[in-house]
Amino acid sequence: MISQIFILSSKGDHLIYKDFRGEAGSDVVSIFYEKVMTLTGDQPPVVMSHKDLQFIHVRQGGLYWVATTTADSSPFTIIEFLNRLAALVKDYCGSLSEKMVQMNFALIYELLDEVVDYGYIQTTSSDVLKNFIQTEAVSSRPFSLFDISNVGLFGAETQQSIVAPSSAATRPIQSSREQGGKSEIFVDVIERMTIVIGSNGMLMKADVEGEITVKCYMPNCTEMRIGLNEEFSIGKSQLRGYGAAVRVDECSFHQAVRLDEFDSHRILRLCPSQGEQTVMQYQLSDDLPSAPPFRLFPTIERDSGGRLLMYLKLRCDLPPKSCLLLKCVMYVTPVASVFSLSQELSSPDQSAELKPQSRAVVWKVPRFTGGTQLSALFKLDVPGLSSASMQEVGPVGLSFELPKYTATGLQIRFLRLSPVQPGPSQRWVRYVTHSDSYTIRI
Amino acid sequence: MSASSAFNDEKGGSSSVAEPEYGHDPASGGIFSSDYKRHDDLKEMLDSNKDSLKLEAMKRIVAMIARGKNASDLFPAVVKNVACKNIEVKKLVYVYLVRYAEEQQDLALLSISTFQRGLKDPNQLIRASALRVLSSIRVTIIVPIMMLAIKEAASDMSPYVRKTAAHAIPKLYSLDPEQKDQLIEVIEKLLADKTTLVAGSVVMAFEEVCPERIDLIHKNYRKLCNLLIDVEEWGQVVIINMLTRYARTQFLNPNMNESLLEEGNSGEKTFYGSDEDEDEDEEEKEKKAEAAAMAKRKPYVMDPDHRLLLRNTKPLLQSRNAAVVMAVAQLYFHLAPKAEVGVIAKALVRLLRSHSEVQYVVLQNVATMTIKRRGMFEPYLKSFYIRSTDPTQIKILKLEVLTNLANETNISTILREFQTYIKSMDKDFVAATIQAIGRCATNIGEVRDTCLNGLVQLLSNRDELVVAESVVVIKKLLQMQPEKHSDIIKHMAKLTDNIQVPMARASILWLIGEYCEHVPKIAPDVLRKMAKSFTNEEDIVKLQIINLAAKLYLTNSKQTKLLTQYVLNLAKYDQNYDIRDRARFIRQLIVPTEKSGALSKYAKKLFLALKPAPVLESPFKDRDHFQLGSLSHLLNAKAGGYQELPDWPEAAPDPSVRNVEVPEWTKCSSREKRKEKKVEKPFYSDSEGESGPTESADSESDSASGSESGSGSEESGSGSESEESEEGSESEEEEEDEEEKDKKKKKKELKKPVQETESLLLPLFRLQTISPSSALKNYELLHRITGEGLSVEYCFSRQPFSPDANMVAVQMHFTNNATSDTKNLHMEDVKLQSGMRVKEFPEIELLPAGETTTAVMGIDFCDSTQAANFQLCTHTRKFFVSIQPPVGELMRPFFMTENEFRKEQGQLMGMNEITEKLTLDAKCRNEHAIVQRVTTAANLSRVPCGSDKEFAGRTVTSSSLVLVTVATKEEGAAQLTVNCEKMVIGTMLVKDILLALTQ
Repeated sequence: MISQIFILSSKGDHLIYKDFRGEAGSDVVSIFYEKVMTLTGDQPPVVMSHKDLQFIHVRQGGLYWVATTTADSSPFTIIEFLNRLAALVKDYCGSLSEKMVQMNFALIYELLDEVVDYGYIQTTSSDVLKNFIQTEAVSSRPFSLFDISNVGLFGAETQQSIVAPSSAATRPIQSSREQGGKSEIFVDVIERMTIVIGSNGMLMKADVEGEITVKCYMPNCTEMRIGLNEEFSIGKSQLRGYGAAVRVDECSFHQAVRLDEFDSHRILRLCPSQGEQTVMQYQLSDDLPSAPPFRLFPTIERDSGGRLLMYLKLRCDLPPKSCLLLKCVMYVTPVASVFSLSQELSSPDQSAELKPQSRAVVWKVPRFTGGTQLSALFKLDVPGLSSASMQEVGPVGLSFELPKYTATGLQIRFLRLSPVQPGPSQRWVRYVTHSDSYTIRI
Repeated sequence: MSASSAFNDEKGGSSSVAEPEYGHDPASGGIFSSDYKRHDDLKEMLDSNKDSLKLEAMKRIVAMIARGKNASDLFPAVVKNVACKNIEVKKLVYVYLVRYAEEQQDLALLSISTFQRGLKDPNQLIRASALRVLSSIRVTIIVPIMMLAIKEAASDMSPYVRKTAAHAIPKLYSLDPEQKDQLIEVIEKLLADKTTLVAGSVVMAFEEVCPERIDLIHKNYRKLCNLLIDVEEWGQVVIINMLTRYARTQFLNPNMNESLLEEGNSGEKTFYGSDEDEDEDEEEKEKKAEAAAMAKRKPYVMDPDHRLLLRNTKPLLQSRNAAVVMAVAQLYFHLAPKAEVGVIAKALVRLLRSHSEVQYVVLQNVATMTIKRRGMFEPYLKSFYIRSTDPTQIKILKLEVLTNLANETNISTILREFQTYIKSMDKDFVAATIQAIGRCATNIGEVRDTCLNGLVQLLSNRDELVVAESVVVIKKLLQMQPEKHSDIIKHMAKLTDNIQVPMARASILWLIGEYCEHVPKIAPDVLRKMAKSFTNEEDIVKLQIINLAAKLYLTNSKQTKLLTQYVLNLAKYDQNYDIRDRARFIRQLIVPTEKSGALSKYAKKLFLALKPAPVLESPFKDRDHFQLGSLSHLLNAKAGGYQELPDWPEAAPDPSVRNVEVPEWTKCSSREKRKEKKVEKPFYSDSEGESGPTESADSESDSASGSESGSGSEESGSGSESEESEEGSESEEEEEDEEEKDKKKKKKELKKPVQETESLLLPLFRLQTISPSSALKNYELLHRITGEGLSVEYCFSRQPFSPDANMVAVQMHFTNNATSDTKNLHMEDVKLQSGMRVKEFPEIELLPAGETTTAVMGIDFCDSTQAANFQLCTHTRKFFVSIQPPVGELMRPFFMTENEFRKEQGQLMGMNEITEKLTLDAKCRNEHAIVQRVTTAANLSRVPCGSDKEFAGRTVTSSSLVLVTVATKEEGAAQLTVNCEKMVIGTMLVKDILLALTQ
């Protein structure tokens, strides 16, 4: 049971407040914010208590989504619910931000009113809610075709909140009925890689999580068929097709997906509801079809002047033309206090800087073509450098994103809509692979 | 005037909403200085005739509410619009009313009549929303109205309205707890509801209003288990949690036979390996259990209802809702036999890939589980490796899990992993890692020295925090075997010059003091240094200096007497009272004076007593007394309203309470016996049905009963009779459990095990769609002209005739086409051939003009097609009628496997076999059509998986086997074979089927 729900901006402004059961006063909002503020550390605990009131919160879109409860209800339910609520608001308003929430107070309040009744969650399905929600979303800026030029560009950060599709897909679902002709569908294949490479160059851990998300702005799309590679197989045993196997360990589907053609032809059939939904999620552990995309060859030594020399060679093992790396940030962790850094990089558009608080050298590479190699030499002035402290260098973390590339090799063969859409309709399929955590130990 | 100008302003403000430079929303008050003015303007908008203005005003008002601003003074203006035709405005008015009705009770009452009208609306959405708002108005005066509305809505046609009624129950309860009894009645009624939409909501209401009334669940238990998979996800969570509690009170502990000693080990062995292995294990175990149950030696047999719950929740582990997955996981953890708990590990590990908040909560629960059932998560060790992007809390929880999972075999991998974590920049995490290494070292004796050496190496780390934490951990480790490690102590003594972290300094000092005999030369020197810096030390360090001084004084008073005096003197004037007290106390204890009492004799014993080594244990050790997945577990403290998970009962309560009420005549005397039988076969379909995740209990018990009746009829005649009746009652019961729209269809289907066995592979709710589509053939008993307006038709309903299993059920449809009522419809003067019996239908007292009614009678035809003649009487007339059965209705389907079929067929050769060649009708050459025509002609069931089209049945009276084979050849040629002991029946059946297939 949920007692209250409120949404706070990161600065603590009250955005939305709704009390369902009248069990606690509205001052809890400030109590919550004080609690968050007084805490140190990178993340406040998910559950916090104040007298016999519990706060459970998640952070999405730079906002605090908080629910309070006085009873013992499953924390999973509440967390899951808050995440769903954020997703719903995103669907209805187009995107998640403080501004967006401010412009749509009435809509969000109405949503809350429908979704939760007296603290009990009624439904979070946007198909059901469609029947009840009357208010239209206000979006900051009319959707324009210029945005499409950004399609395929993603934020470089690896945090999930920023992995959202670019602005082309950020418009409210309900306004589509006004704007009429703009029927579009976005299908994204997003993969996140977790890789640990040992100091001897051995791959110690490899893990890919992927998902296919569909964002639908088609008011009258009844059925959609997504064809995956014929070679796609789940689990270790079966092998299909003639091409290189595309294998995942586990696969789960949205409940609306019908799988009658999946076994024979690898076709997912679904009736997409308006808004964003994750159609399929899959995981692959340990057994990647290709070598990890990046390798590092580090040499670390001490020069005569007592400086620490780090010579790093980074090689990209992706096929040359297919890939274009947009950004690569590298965190090399050196020993404790570093006074200064001098560097020699292989090309002028790269940069490197020293981050004293995190004791890291950050090497930024804006562009990195497959099959090539980059090198860098860092000289670090470290007072009192000893051989023991040489041991403390590393590991190297890489964050990157690879558009038009999937680590598992999953591809979408076709995308068919029925009935055939009247008027202009656009279908977008995008692939991207992010680094979730790409660590190379030295 | 001022108002209108304000209005214009306001419009300007709101139209700027879409502008990029949009700064603050119009309702935020930034534009207007006085609230009064703003509200005036809103009132005007609300009073206008234009819906668009009203809507605009309502949006702004709702926006104010949303941000927690007070908009209560607009109540009169808003409430007027409750009857507004515009649905958008109406919606927002509802939102407003729910928020402020409590504060403005009198005015709120004005709106009640609108809602009462809404409750009668033909649109279900409007009915539901009216009820929802009405029940949200927290005004005590309207309690009776609410009660009435809830009661009415509870029997509404629309399940959506019934669901809303269920949601309204807790609201009314909190408004007026005295209504509890009435509300429980409504809950009881709604619990019996068979739609998935209602199930979740009513259980929520149940949990809030009367969680103690567990008896209300009994009758609905099986239904809830079966509906579960189709219930909406939030409802699933609530139902699963409630069923967990229920199962704890109603079933026996499945692990009660395993001794406590096994606890740690048995898990490990079972859970290595992949899922397939687990399933095999499960199967094996079940087979064993079955065997044991047959022998009736093993005292524990799982209640089939318990098994039903476990089986029906298992597929939900695939849910994409983390709350559902966790709910099932805790259910398995608390209810499943040890060998089966392993299945949840994979699902929980999958949750580790979702949002960090979810990860955090999952890891908390996994940490608790790993203490009890370590083996379960061992195959997933790698999933708990820490990623550099994890937040600190999650890193620490993962460390906890890794530590719990460490054992002799994997410790080297884990330690190597820990080693890399120490390089992390996250200080809290590094400290936790060092502590984790310490715990691994204490738990696993083999690696203690390795760990210790590793930790000692860390002492030369450049990071002081790392060193300090290591010192603290080393101290604990050394306490276990100090004599071996005097060189480590020496090494640490040297560190006192460099380490500044108080806790570490204190630890070193304590170590040196405790083991001063191992380092006799260094100890006094350390004390000398410390005495020098005493005044600058932190309090905990000071206390340890005093401690060290005292211990040295007792062991080595010659060298340290003066030093000790000096330290104690310094301490005497310390600012901290604790230190002053300690110094005074120690001086009295160790320095012998004339006044010192008897205690000083024992000073050495007091200070240098052997101290037990500290036990490094998991902070999650005793968390498992909270139900997993609950908020209390997460907080490690009781949250309000936490319901403790009850302990298993000593003896199982009566399982028959879950049997659903059956019509009175079938309350057979042999219920106990039947129950026993069911227990014997709980795993019947399990062993073959693992493939179908959603197979239902119904199909299990049905197929079980099918085979029961088979075995029964091989016994003597009287024996088979009772078997048959049992079976009848059972299928009656099972169908009560089910959601069903057409009772007749259903009953017919239950008597058709062909479909039943197919259904094992299908989800429960497709059962309805696969029932035979062929309509039952109607025969005329009385034409309306001869019957003077009364017409009667009958059909063989093919459902078991419950009062007497040897009778064929005949369903009669009476239609009164006359203009006057017909009264006292009944049977008289039944003329039968010898041996035949009739069970008359109950008298129909009144059949009004134009109405139709049905009645069921039973006839025992003695396996012959002779007619049953009787008179149908009304209050005025008598009609002579007769019912003659087609031969196909004299049998009932019988389920047998292909092999059994072949075997039986082999025994019915020669005279008992009749073969006929035929050419199939052009329209019925495919398999489906043949099957349909044969089953329409005769009440038989298809033998599953047979290569030809084979059908089996038994005659109703004598239970003789009837076997039919249709072998098809090219171009519609076919051969029909009937094997039956009763040659007359066989011959007639051949004719009928021939006719059916060729026309």
